[in-house]
Amino acid sequence: MQLDTSILVGVLFACGTFLILQRSFVKILFGFIILSNAVNLLILAMSGEPSRKLAPLMTGEPGARVDPLPQALILTAIVIGFGVTAYLVVLLYRLFLDHQTTNAADLYDPSKPPEDPS
Amino acid sequence: MNAVVLPVLLPLLTAVGLLLWGRPSPSRRMLAAGSSAVQLGLAVGLVVRLAEGGWFILPVGRWAVPYGIVLSIDLLAALMLTLSGLTSLACLIYGFFELPVRWEHPLRMPLVQFLVMGINLAFITGDLFNLFVAFEVMLISSYALLTLEADNWDIKQAYPYIAVNLVGSALFLAAAGLVYALTGTLNYSELAQVTAGMSSDPRLLAVVLLLMVVFALKAGVFPLYHWLPNSYPTLPLPLAALYAGMLTKVGIYVIFRMLTTVLPHDLAFVHGLLAWMAGLTMLLGVLGAISRNYIRGILSFHILSQVGFMILAIGLFTPLSLAAAVVYIVHHIVVKSSLFLLGGIVLVLNKTDDLDRGANLWRVTPWVGVLFLAQAMSLAGLPPLSGFWGKYLILVAGLELKEYVLVGVSLVASVLTLFSMLKIWLGPFWREDDSVTVQVNDARWRPMAAVVTALTAISLMIGFGVEGVVRLAQQATATAMDQQGYALAVQKILAEVGAKGLNP
Repeated sequence: MQLDTSILVGVLFACGTFLILQRSFVKILFGFIILSNAVNLLILAMSGEPSRKLAPLMTGEPGARVDPLPQALILTAIVIGFGVTAYLVVLLYRLFLDHQTTNAADLYDPSKPPEDPS
Repeated sequence: MNAVVLPVLLPLLTAVGLLLWGRPSPSRRMLAAGSSAVQLGLAVGLVVRLAEGGWFILPVGRWAVPYGIVLSIDLLAALMLTLSGLTSLACLIYGFFELPVRWEHPLRMPLVQFLVMGINLAFITGDLFNLFVAFEVMLISSYALLTLEADNWDIKQAYPYIAVNLVGSALFLAAAGLVYALTGTLNYSELAQVTAGMSSDPRLLAVVLLLMVVFALKAGVFPLYHWLPNSYPTLPLPLAALYAGMLTKVGIYVIFRMLTTVLPHDLAFVHGLLAWMAGLTMLLGVLGAISRNYIRGILSFHILSQVGFMILAIGLFTPLSLAAAVVYIVHHIVVKSSLFLLGGIVLVLNKTDDLDRGANLWRVTPWVGVLFLAQAMSLAGLPPLSGFWGKYLILVAGLELKEYVLVGVSLVASVLTLFSMLKIWLGPFWREDDSVTVQVNDARWRPMAAVVTALTAISLMIGFGVEGVVRLAQQATATAMDQQGYALAVQKILAEVGAKGLNP
């Protein structure tokens, strides 16, 4: 389990980083979504090998339990990540409405006449 | 000590109250300003009570470490809370005079309160994951404020700010997870105990470097500052002053807190790396400032240059240099905010803050010129103003360690700071041009100047009463570095309240 998760985290980090380095803001957004999922998986992996362990519930059953703290952390992180992603989507839409493009190369093109900065 | 939660709870309740209040009105503004004044008073009270050292600690919900979160205030945190209260109060009142109430966006005041809440939580938290939450509260409010009243040019500048900080947040989360895997805790005092003997462990070094990347990104240190200088000028001036004063300083405070309270004190490689990054930051920041031709742009780049000084002081890592860092932070927040607010007055009087198009301010409104000179010279570090003492202490600490190159770089950066401040002075203030009219009939500028006068007076008091400030800074540094004392205080308070764990 641990090894599978670490490979998955590695692949997701690579994909996320690749997408974030693209010029299109939509790809950057997808990159961020993948990156935040990769990080959540990374934290989940930090609770250690889960096989043959019980879920962290107060059932009174004897036996080793999975460390519940990383799960609590992820829950917080997912909520925050969701909020930020929603905000980013709206911002992207606004950017598209204003400039009719979401490509960084077009948006910040120095050869185009700048819009009024004031 | 339940009052520990107040610096976070007050802004939260105020923000909710403001949201429920509805449309902007003078009484709604009074609520916001009143709340900030109470926060300032509370923080000053905390500084007075903690001036001899010690901690106020609250284990939230009586949960034991590591399940629960510990909030703790020491002298350093209390000083930072005071500064955040002061800056937000000044910027709010200034904003009231700058913008008539009928034009105010109804979400601006609540968002400012949420921003202050995030900043304050970052100061008082004693838990790494809670720090992440504080950063997110702060950043999400700052994104919203940045784009709230933005036009389509501003939106373009906001996107890099948001994208870069999002990556920073993801890295922070990853670093927090790795810290938990490595040490089994996220609580500051337990982290300090677990990592105490690990300073030569490469795993700790890797995690610390990852954390430093995240915090250096928030602080705006050399390779990671690109998001800052183009986004801050797009903000409305009172908000830009709040951002300039507080946001990057949260990053610096956290670096300070991590290196003193949480991590072992002999991470020489990290300290050295920070010091050299700081040297590059101060030089490149000030060069960027010289390249700009409008006041907000120059001042935004200057934030970076000044961040370099503070990080250099932390990187030198002697008791004297750390105290110097605290003195410099105190000086910088007041001066930087008031310079941004002065930029706003220039904007009102000249209808522009472009250096080539503004003129005549010294002839028509000399008082604004006096205020600008006092704060600009303080920023450049001329004695006996507050900036001189901060720089002097950093230079002494650097010379004691024989870091001549870094001391030289900081002197060059100071001279260049003076040069770029003179550039502003020679533009709108000193230049005489009969074709430029100064809008003295605009009634807004007098009360705005009064707010800046109050901040300038505080900054002068820091400069002339520097002995007391240095003593406070030394006490704050000593308390922050006392890892044993902090751990004992946390254990004592947990035993007192009968903290509960998961396995009773």
